[in-house]
Amino acid sequence: MRLLAFALVVWSFAALAANDQVPGAPRMEFVPPAPGTYTLPVIQRTPNGKVLDSSGFAHALSRYTIGRITLLSFIYTYCTDPVGCPLAYDTFVTVRSRLLERPDLAWRVRLVSLSIDPTHDTPQMMRAYAGKYLEADKGLGWHFLTTPSMKALTYILDAFGQDVAVEVDERGRPTRAINHMLKVFLLDQHGGVREIYSSEFLFPEVVLNDIKTLLIEEGVRVD
Amino acid sequence: MAYQRVIAQRRVRMRRTTLVLLATATLCWAAAARADETCNSPYMTKLIKGQEDYVHVWTIGVEGLGDGSDKLVTIDANPKSKQYGKVIHTVAVTGRGEPHHMGFTDDRRYLWAGRLDDSKIFVFDVGTNPAQPKLVRTISDLPQRSGYLGPHTFYALPGRMLVQGLSNANDRGGVTGMTVYNNKGEFVAKYDMPTADIGGVKGDGYGYDLAINPAKNVLLTSSFTGIDNYMRDLGDLVKDGAAMKRFGNTMVAWDLKSMKPQKIFAVPGAPLEIRWSLKPGANWAITATALTSKLWLVKQDSGGVWQAKEVATIGDPAKIPLPVDISITADAKGLWVNTFMDGTTRYFDLSNPEAPRETYTKNTGKQVNMISQSWDGKRVYITSSLLARWDKKGADDEQFLRAFKWDGKALTPAFEVDFYKEKLGRAHHMKFSAKPAG
Repeated sequence: MRLLAFALVVWSFAALAANDQVPGAPRMEFVPPAPGTYTLPVIQRTPNGKVLDSSGFAHALSRYTIGRITLLSFIYTYCTDPVGCPLAYDTFVTVRSRLLERPDLAWRVRLVSLSIDPTHDTPQMMRAYAGKYLEADKGLGWHFLTTPSMKALTYILDAFGQDVAVEVDERGRPTRAINHMLKVFLLDQHGGVREIYSSEFLFPEVVLNDIKTLLIEEGVRVD
Repeated sequence: MAYQRVIAQRRVRMRRTTLVLLATATLCWAAAARADETCNSPYMTKLIKGQEDYVHVWTIGVEGLGDGSDKLVTIDANPKSKQYGKVIHTVAVTGRGEPHHMGFTDDRRYLWAGRLDDSKIFVFDVGTNPAQPKLVRTISDLPQRSGYLGPHTFYALPGRMLVQGLSNANDRGGVTGMTVYNNKGEFVAKYDMPTADIGGVKGDGYGYDLAINPAKNVLLTSSFTGIDNYMRDLGDLVKDGAAMKRFGNTMVAWDLKSMKPQKIFAVPGAPLEIRWSLKPGANWAITATALTSKLWLVKQDSGGVWQAKEVATIGDPAKIPLPVDISITADAKGLWVNTFMDGTTRYFDLSNPEAPRETYTKNTGKQVNMISQSWDGKRVYITSSLLARWDKKGADDEQFLRAFKWDGKALTPAFEVDFYKEKLGRAHHMKFSAKPAG
């Protein structure tokens, strides 16, 4: 039953992502500034912590936050709110696709989706969720991570400043809905958080320009 | 830890979860709100579309009154509560430093509250138990980090807070800037208000309010005056011709992403609060000028270029009614305007933002400043204090929070808290909160 249910969610989720515009997602009504014409100050440092990859191997979180420019979001695999996790997924797919058009840049970037429900999102579930995106392409990896325990997760969430709560019903019982404000974190290669996008300002074009801005900062030619 | 416990409980329940429940009830909630109770940052979550439970009032301490300290006062605002209309909690902070405005963090867990005199910022935890806010952090490094004074507006960005200053530590005039702190209270960046000529208008470098339209990538700022003016007795100030020239006369449209000014608008007479239309796709904002008593519209023209123009008069400008706070309705069809000097609350029909019409007027106090409305517009709250040294004297110095019901035709009193009688101080900015769901 659990896998069947999961399959249903993945199906609806994929249908959402296949659309040109995720329903309810904000529309970009401006031309973003060109890469390198602005700066992205360091907002905060990223924490370390323990995570599990989609094969179940334990790693330090820093393995996925240092050494490359990183786009990281907190998700859970059965989330279906169009402007929540599916919007992040859709954005990641677009950013990945655009980066793959530039192999000289793609290998300098990684994508990370980290579950906020390790009780459900086991490495096996994350692997199923990842589907075809599990394999790196042109050096661009998309890592689908979970944590070994709730304790390990809450440490990471608190350090990132990611607010998460399980919604309760009218009788105070926990439901399957996890309230969390969608935040996507852009990290430089040293692990500094350089931008945080919420659903109000999560535009692939802006994200790509920000990634290029950080690459220019490293002396990489992006034109 | 609560998240750990609850999700563990839920795991047991999940085994019994049916496919139907899964298909219909799996929702993750993101920043679903385009905006909050009509005036907050669009990046803020947990919009209160129903009944607010509490009103928090950032209150200026008065020497010899109660403990004399500045404080955050929490009032029960739910008519179903036995304590409706009563003060249920206060948090005093050290000393007196001219409390002014507040703003929630993006997750609405923390309320940042600034003081204009000593430039301190107090961070209250209102997420754990909104009935009993708790002071968790004091940020004291704004002048050292930025050179600015007078943290005025607190505007949530994802994971951080954008803070508009009013003054500077060098000459204590109105030239100032914006700072960014992360949600942990660590300084991130500063941005000077422009003083150069941009688009044919020279910047005055002044600041007051700021507001963002994310879809347009536009940040709008307005302008007021420096600490030497706003901490001076109003009666003395108005007699000083030179000092009265040191008020802001500009608004600025910024590229939000790059935080670079794109255009400066000449808006004479200290444009103060800025309110964007909250309708999706809308491309306009409105403000009121304190000294010239006008409403100004900032809107894209047919070519997509941002323009500012005067669209209405508030009261009789010759009598200097002093428009202070404004509050736009969620559907952007109406605008409340408080004028301090005549203690009047006015409602403007904004159906055509190019030509607002005043359709309702009521005297709501001897002096009125801030005005806040619920998302549905049915409840309106008013406070009395402008600045400690600008408030009226003697019997005209009423200090209160007054709650009203609004049926679209008239304001009807709901409850009132007398801040002097309760020995609290001068009532300034308000923010709403609600009990956690469930």
